[in-house]
Amino acid sequence: MAKILIIDDDSDIVEAMRVVLENKGYGVVSAENGKDGLIKASLEKPELIILDVMMPGIDGFEVARELKKNVVVKNIPILMLTAVKKKTGFDFKAEAGDPDWLPVDDYCDKPLDYEVLLERVAVLISRSKL
Amino acid sequence: MRDAHTNIIPAEERLIDRVYWLINLRWIAIAGVVSTVYIASEILHIPLEVFPLYGVVFFLIVNAVLLRWVIVYFQDRKFFKKMKTLMSFQLFLDLFYLAALIHFSGGIENPFYFYFIFHIIIAGILLSRRATYLIATYASAIFLIVVFCEQCGFLTHHCLKGVFSAPLSGNFLYLMGASFVFMSTLYITAYLTTSISIQLTEREQSLKVANKLLKEKDRVKSEYVLRVTHDIKEDLAAIHSCIEPVQKGITGALNERQTDLLRRARVRSKQLVVFVDALLEITRLKLTEKIEMKYFSVNELVQEIQEMFAVSAQEKQISFEVCADPDIPSMKGVRVYVHEAILNLLNNSLKYTPEKGKIVWEIRNHQNVLFVKISDTGIGIPREDLPRIFEEFYRAGNAKEREKKGTGLGLSITKAIAEMHHGKVWVESELGKGTSVYLEFPSGA
Repeated sequence: MAKILIIDDDSDIVEAMRVVLENKGYGVVSAENGKDGLIKASLEKPELIILDVMMPGIDGFEVARELKKNVVVKNIPILMLTAVKKKTGFDFKAEAGDPDWLPVDDYCDKPLDYEVLLERVAVLISRSKL
Repeated sequence: MRDAHTNIIPAEERLIDRVYWLINLRWIAIAGVVSTVYIASEILHIPLEVFPLYGVVFFLIVNAVLLRWVIVYFQDRKFFKKMKTLMSFQLFLDLFYLAALIHFSGGIENPFYFYFIFHIIIAGILLSRRATYLIATYASAIFLIVVFCEQCGFLTHHCLKGVFSAPLSGNFLYLMGASFVFMSTLYITAYLTTSISIQLTEREQSLKVANKLLKEKDRVKSEYVLRVTHDIKEDLAAIHSCIEPVQKGITGALNERQTDLLRRARVRSKQLVVFVDALLEITRLKLTEKIEMKYFSVNELVQEIQEMFAVSAQEKQISFEVCADPDIPSMKGVRVYVHEAILNLLNNSLKYTPEKGKIVWEIRNHQNVLFVKISDTGIGIPREDLPRIFEEFYRAGNAKEREKKGTGLGLSITKAIAEMHHGKVWVESELGKGTSVYLEFPSGA
């Protein structure tokens, strides 16, 4: 079954997501900061990366850009977790796919709606398998 | 806060305002001189040197026209300092004109010489204390020179024959007395006017400082709220994320009691999320000073909101009608915010309108103002609550009764968004009949 890497500094949210994703049969690995996440992405080669925006050290935007620079992992889809979309007026959907600005494939609002999360996870993984 | 701006006009603008006021006064003064000369000579038959007097009037007119031209020219270039110099120079000239008018119409015998006081008052308002005393000194000097030159025969004394039985100019004691009273009046006027003027300036300064401090404190408070709310939200998101999988039985089957309690916990945490989101939003709006505005299509926005809202209205069996002007031009603003401001109002209507009710949404464009009206057949707002409904956290009494949930922030957010776009929002309501909310956005913001 598909392996998912969660990069999020909030271990409580990671554990909750792990329960939900494992329940659907996904394998879950996690990293609690951007640096760790970049290393685990190359090591584990997951089918999908779930990435939080607000993290100490390297933030999610930076991690996404770094990931897309790396030849080994650049084809792994990224699902970004964010609470900022509505507040800033950024339309992430429009920006997604703009590799210079924000190279993520989709996003989910926080607090998470698991149904939406699972749906997007499934879509991104099946798309990358094509 | 955004609406904490006060109406303190900067000194530059005020000076320019007063300069224009002075220019207008000049024309009144000129008209006054002409009519006085005319009445005195033609009706009262006082023997006046009419020709030189009208000559001075001619110079006054030329001067007034020139002054206006020079000020318009300078104002564009914001020559504030030069404006002050210009006004001092103009006052010197004016005193000279007045002295000339007095000289040609009887000198000390002409009581109009007390009009010198007006110049001192004007100087006291416009200029510094030092400059005002200087002008008072100059006014005294020019007056004394005229009077004593006439007395000594250096200047012709144009006697007001027929007004006085004996010419006053020959009476040395009277001249001394009149000059002393005149001079002291000028200096006392200078002192009084500048004292008031200085006091006013000082008070204005302290008001400005207080206002700035208040704004700063408000900003600090908002930043504090933002930080605290943000932290709360992080924890809340984690709580919410952890409860859900358990409640949904992903971690194992639960009995009915367990599911029910977890459902309650989740509903409450969700409610708190909604509140925290609204609080974050209003605080961010208040802290935003500059925001990038772009033109966006109002027609598209209307359609988007209409499609979205029609579903919610239908679910509650409320009829929803949209009346939009055809081809509303694009509007400059922040699309997501305008979207939110309107949707907030529609959701309010939906929340407080009983089933089978009606919501009408009008969108009009009139002279580059986008005009939005949302009326419902809902519970209405009690008259005593109307003035306060835009306050943060305030909820009308009947709204709380009907709907326990509610942040009390929806209307404040809409108001903040309207103000950000230099627009406004207001409400009309009749209890038990319904409510109409109006929103106005200038299209060019």
